[in-house]
Amino acid sequence: MTMIGLEIHCQLTNLNSKLFCSCKANYRGFKINENICPICMGLPGSLPRLNQEAVKKATIIAMALNCSTPEKIAFFRKNYFYPDSPKNFQITQLNIYGDTSVGGTGSIMVGDKKIRITRIQLEEDPGRLIYEGSSSKNQITLVDYNRAGTPLVEIVTEPDFETPKEIRDFLNILSDILANLGVADPSLEGAMRADANVSIKGGKKVEIKNIGSFHDLEKAVHFEITRQESLHSREIEIVQETRHWDDRRKITVSSRSKEEDLDYRYFLEGDIPWVKIDPETQKTLSSQMPESISSKKERYVSKYNIPAQVADVLSSDKYYSDLFEESHTELNAKEVANIITTDLMGLVDTREKREASKFTSVHLKELADSIQSGKISKNSSKNALHEILKTGKNLTTIIKELDLGNVSDESELSGIICQVISEESQAVEQTKSNPQTINYLVGKVMQKTKGKADPSLTLDLLKKQIGI
Amino acid sequence: MVTEEEIEHVSKLMRIDIDDHKEFVEKVHSMINYFDILDSAGVESEEISMPEISISNLRKDEHIPFDGKLIEKLNHYKGTYVRAPKMSS
Amino acid sequence: MNLKISALDFIQEVKTGNISAEDFVAKTIERIQNVDDKLHAFLSVNQKAVDQARKIDKKVKSGEKVGDCFGMPISIKDNLCIKDSKTTCASKMLEDFIAPYDATVITKLKRQDAIFVGKVNMDEFAMGLTTEFSAFGPSKNPWNADYVPGGSSGGSAVSVSAFECVASLGSDTGGSVRNPASFCSTVGYKPTYGLISRFGLISYANSIEQIGPLTRTVKDTAFMLNMISGIDPNDSTTIDNKNEDYLSEIDSGIEGKKIGIIQEMIGEGIDPAVLSATKDAISKLESLGAICEEISLDMVKYSVAAYYTITATEAGSNLARYDNLRYGYDFPLEGYEFNSYISKARRNFGPEVTRRLIIGGFVPSTGHAGKYFLKALKVKSKLTKEINNVFKKFDLLISPTVPILPFKLGEKIDDPVSLFLVDINTVTANLTGKPAISIPFANSNGLPIGIQLMANSSQDKLLLQAAHALEKTVNLPEVPI
Repeated sequence: MTMIGLEIHCQLTNLNSKLFCSCKANYRGFKINENICPICMGLPGSLPRLNQEAVKKATIIAMALNCSTPEKIAFFRKNYFYPDSPKNFQITQLNIYGDTSVGGTGSIMVGDKKIRITRIQLEEDPGRLIYEGSSSKNQITLVDYNRAGTPLVEIVTEPDFETPKEIRDFLNILSDILANLGVADPSLEGAMRADANVSIKGGKKVEIKNIGSFHDLEKAVHFEITRQESLHSREIEIVQETRHWDDRRKITVSSRSKEEDLDYRYFLEGDIPWVKIDPETQKTLSSQMPESISSKKERYVSKYNIPAQVADVLSSDKYYSDLFEESHTELNAKEVANIITTDLMGLVDTREKREASKFTSVHLKELADSIQSGKISKNSSKNALHEILKTGKNLTTIIKELDLGNVSDESELSGIICQVISEESQAVEQTKSNPQTINYLVGKVMQKTKGKADPSLTLDLLKKQIGI
Repeated sequence: MVTEEEIEHVSKLMRIDIDDHKEFVEKVHSMINYFDILDSAGVESEEISMPEISISNLRKDEHIPFDGKLIEKLNHYKGTYVRAPKMSS
Repeated sequence: MNLKISALDFIQEVKTGNISAEDFVAKTIERIQNVDDKLHAFLSVNQKAVDQARKIDKKVKSGEKVGDCFGMPISIKDNLCIKDSKTTCASKMLEDFIAPYDATVITKLKRQDAIFVGKVNMDEFAMGLTTEFSAFGPSKNPWNADYVPGGSSGGSAVSVSAFECVASLGSDTGGSVRNPASFCSTVGYKPTYGLISRFGLISYANSIEQIGPLTRTVKDTAFMLNMISGIDPNDSTTIDNKNEDYLSEIDSGIEGKKIGIIQEMIGEGIDPAVLSATKDAISKLESLGAICEEISLDMVKYSVAAYYTITATEAGSNLARYDNLRYGYDFPLEGYEFNSYISKARRNFGPEVTRRLIIGGFVPSTGHAGKYFLKALKVKSKLTKEINNVFKKFDLLISPTVPILPFKLGEKIDDPVSLFLVDINTVTANLTGKPAISIPFANSNGLPIGIQLMANSSQDKLLLQAAHALEKTVNLPEVPI
């Protein structure tokens, strides 16, 4: 049997400051080594100052993944030398003196399968290494410490996965949950990373590190399973080891460092007292947690009668569900859901497009309301949506500028209908024996008005003029 | 008893090259051997305690940039990078 | 000009205009130039000290608000960061390190118009108790320059004792303030853990160390505590002392106070002169109305082993950052691979630091942590329980600060285990977080003996009152320099 476990690292990108200092948590967009201070650079004499909000956010994540949350959490030092780590130790969490990590055991459902969480820990991200030079001889290592100290939540799972597909489904659900909690933006580059451990047929466990993206994770796991199966079939022993994902060659490579060289000498971080998270605070945090994705979905279906499939799409993406929540009313809910899932989704499917667009929930509400009141036709609304995304102007202005408003003036519409009746005398005749033919005539009116005729008014007037 | 190999291994772990091997090892030996006294303290059942802080007393989450360009006061290379030796692959 | 006055007298004199801060500081600098060739207390001297003093005199004359220190010249152990000045930890590794920020204690003292006359010598990274492990050469004891001044805050004790400053700040991890204070006949104070912010103190063993003042009198120590103690958001381990005034009611005396005499600290290996001084101190305290009784702290036997295990482990981690990449000394990295480069660069640590780093890699490592590190932590816990029990019945504990007299330079430097035992009376306060003070009490053939008093956590004020009472019974010769 194949057993795969994951260690997922998620940056708490929505925080203002780093885990132990007041530099910015989201280091993107700074010049090299501009987002640093004596604390995150580990300068002599500096001491860590734990970010209260980071502890809260990590606790909320633990709660959302159904993990136990202890009343006291402790921090440990993991000692190892590497140039991206300014102190040459990382402040992290462990459970060696009881359950003192921010999250204990928990689980989430992926389809019908339960994936167990071993532990959730809060820790600091290291800096970033940049290698220059083509060969190992002339290699130069450059370090940018802007990322050093960024708050990370590490989610450790039990080896409950059997296939890369299960991993993908799990990570999709996990990303949605984290985004929905408002703690992180998984779409930011490098905001979520994962290591995997893989074993087959009850054999030794192999760790794979250095995997850049979730996409590569699937590939790396797939490669590793194949590699191990091939060894197994040739009766070659699989050794317990750490392997690195070689992004260029798309294979896993054995790391040179031996196990005994990695003695992390974990011990308690004396500069951070144990943090008490009293039951009262836990209760408050739990009550402040955003509504879960599944609860949202249920509400959309039961309250607004939105089809389950639409509700599923709408609830799992925080961007869409936020838009929905902010713009819907009892009356327009279905229409809002429709606009989002049929028209909007194709236009803002990436983070870049969302950031570039000038679309807000105010626009969405206006659009849905206008469709319902007949101010704009369904057809024209699509054009209006394009224009809003581009310019951010309000709907009334766009209707005026692009002449998208419905023809709902009775006398104007009557004139056009008269014209259609005289041109389509044969069809008019047919309506008397076959009432369905009237739809053909409505279509003709629409053609003449470029789709702007108010459909129900058109139908009424047609019937009246023909006399059926 | 601590062996010479163990001390050799630890000096690698701690990333310090050692001179005067023999004398050095002897001193470290005698220091570590003194710690054997801990075996007779009879403390196996003791719990470890640590000071505590309430979550409400932790730092508020605010971005306050460091006053001054810190990197200029540190070793820098090619603009504002820090340079490290090449890494063994 | 009398440089031998106490801090409180200095303040009074400047306040009333009897002396000017400028004169006093200038004379102090002159004194340093005269005696420090011999004593080597200072690693660097502040060239702007006299100018800074002049500015304070101006404020005094114009009636402007002046900080409580009134230009008092203070020396600072070279493991405390002063912005834009060298902070070397007496190590070749940090020979060129310029601190980019002020330690909290420095910020507080600057605000109170103190003047830092210079940075003083210490054992490299505060590891040692003789100051012989300074990479820049040892300091000498002003009472007899053939003798060690104690350590690791040796430069602090020497500078106060030899009138090269009025007060000094040191740091105490296992006795590093009290030991040199005892050897040089000054007051030395280790506060309750968390009373003084460690922000800007270069860590050696962060879970037990504290910054502490060295002064001529107990009152001066109380004054210094008023200046530098209190909760600090930059150090999460600090405690709120509600702005306690340690100087008020310092004359309260010790009548009716119960004092425990720690048996384990006056036993085997104690110098007869030290023992008799201790007995003398006990009878003096009794004559002042205190009730003294012998008590036992079982775990003291194991305290030094626990202390070295814990401090080496923390040091191994705290000093890992010195890899010479971001700051350090000039050592080009061309041609080196990462691990070989830093292993070579870190040879610049002196022999004692290197030994402790190796031990610090060994005792917490997989396979050994259970035998050494974990047991040490448990001894620490049990010792704390024992001492807390004692403090249920007693207000204070007494012992000699160091069981032996100051010894000669070079005498013990090659025998690390015999040096361990010099720490036996001081490490308990660090392992348990309790406040402790060394008071100059006697003199044996020209060598000083200090007496240590300890109190329960946050009973710093009571401790200072008792120390002041004991101090008043003492009449000591003047330092022969």
